[in-house]
Amino acid sequence: MRETIIIDERDNVATALAPLPAGSTHDVGLADGKIAVSVTQDIPYGHKFALSAIPKGAPVLKYGAEIGNATADIGVGEHVHTHNITSRRFRGDVLAG
Amino acid sequence: MTRDHFHGYRRADGRVGIRNHALVIAAMDNANPLARRIAAGVKGAVPVCAAFGRGQKGEDARVHDDILVGYGSHPNASVVLVVSLEKVTAQAFAGRIAASGKPVDWVDVQSSGGTLNAQALGIRKLNALIASTPPAIREPVPISELVVGLECGGSDAVSGMTGNSTLGVVSDRIVAAGGTAILSEPEEIIGAEDLLAARASTPAVAEKLLHAVARYEAYARLVAMDMAPLGDDNIAGGLSTTEEKSLGAVRKGGTTALNQVIGMGEPPTERGLVFLDAPGPGAENITSLGGAGAQIILFSTGIGNPIGNPVVPTVKVTGSPPTARTFADNIDVSVAGIVEGEYGLEQAGDILMNALIAVAEGRPTASERLGDVEITISRVENGFQRLWDTGYFDGTGS
Repeated sequence: MRETIIIDERDNVATALAPLPAGSTHDVGLADGKIAVSVTQDIPYGHKFALSAIPKGAPVLKYGAEIGNATADIGVGEHVHTHNITSRRFRGDVLAG
Repeated sequence: MTRDHFHGYRRADGRVGIRNHALVIAAMDNANPLARRIAAGVKGAVPVCAAFGRGQKGEDARVHDDILVGYGSHPNASVVLVVSLEKVTAQAFAGRIAASGKPVDWVDVQSSGGTLNAQALGIRKLNALIASTPPAIREPVPISELVVGLECGGSDAVSGMTGNSTLGVVSDRIVAAGGTAILSEPEEIIGAEDLLAARASTPAVAEKLLHAVARYEAYARLVAMDMAPLGDDNIAGGLSTTEEKSLGAVRKGGTTALNQVIGMGEPPTERGLVFLDAPGPGAENITSLGGAGAQIILFSTGIGNPIGNPVVPTVKVTGSPPTARTFADNIDVSVAGIVEGEYGLEQAGDILMNALIAVAEGRPTASERLGDVEITISRVENGFQRLWDTGYFDGTGS
């Protein structure tokens, strides 16, 4: 069973394919460039964690593309989700606007 | 390594079919029950019945009619019987379908003297069409003859990286072979449209794509709805932003240049990757893909969606191990091996490509076997369309 997946070598987040307990270490990456990453929080199935430090304001990369920006400094192995990244577009959010 | 050809039916207009259906097309919904009974009276005949068709106006009527004519001239059809309430529409549809070289006839209720007489006449006419048409024989044709529709529904946390990405690998291979792949669903690419537009072959194509997405956002403002594709279930599943979900949807279209943007009821005139401006819900979207001339649809699903198209075989693909197990009756191809660590995307592409060719050569899909097939033609709101066309939304941020 594969525990993590990334799609593009530029990605700075990986996705958990199984629940990953805090403190566990995983070989993450594409076939030719795996690195060992220890997750610092519980990562649920389907959720993302950081492969490198992502400073506040920096782009978060998945599929080799920017899916948003960090709203706080994110450390290696930290859970990456709506609490610490935000959409750059937020388009269609008409009721708020 | 997968094959570079398949066996299909070459039609009079040069296109290649992968099925040989005798179609009974209802020109309007009041003839749907009759069309279904005529089809039931001729073994193997397939009814094509959509809601509405009576009293529609403007672009709404054009889309309805052009999509049905698209099915009538479709390469997966051998012969076509048009069924209508009255003869004017029946003749008009049959005339447009005949222009493709398709053997076609028609029957109408009013001049037949009610539905019982029309049913008998329709069954006789369909029998005559079938009996007088030379048998279709499959012949080897290159993969470049394929027009493949790309759809997704019931996305989950991994479908962007598994099923959708596998469709992208196959899309790239079809395009590399000289074929056509049709991506769709403008509302599902909000947040990723700039990346797709950057792949456009000309500035005009990019402009048309961005225009299509902006129209959905303008509509959302008009009706004060949130059209952002990210729902609470998506967030719980691990998707964090609109861009992330939309990038997952765009993965179906692979990595090649975007060569054309088409509207509903318009067949592509370019090869390669094409974008169809049609709403995303499954039954509607695959109806539009078939109406554009796709002979086969690849439908990626995460949680599971059973719907298929009665004329265009719809291949259900999942990359989610739980769905591959629990939804197995409705799944044609599992690429759950990506998650299970058995293989990567390229090998998943081999699996899907081989399945695509098998279905193209006659293997029935789950939705064909089960009968989970439907025709649903999207409606166009003429009032909104007029506001959009006349620039009502200009300068409002779209």
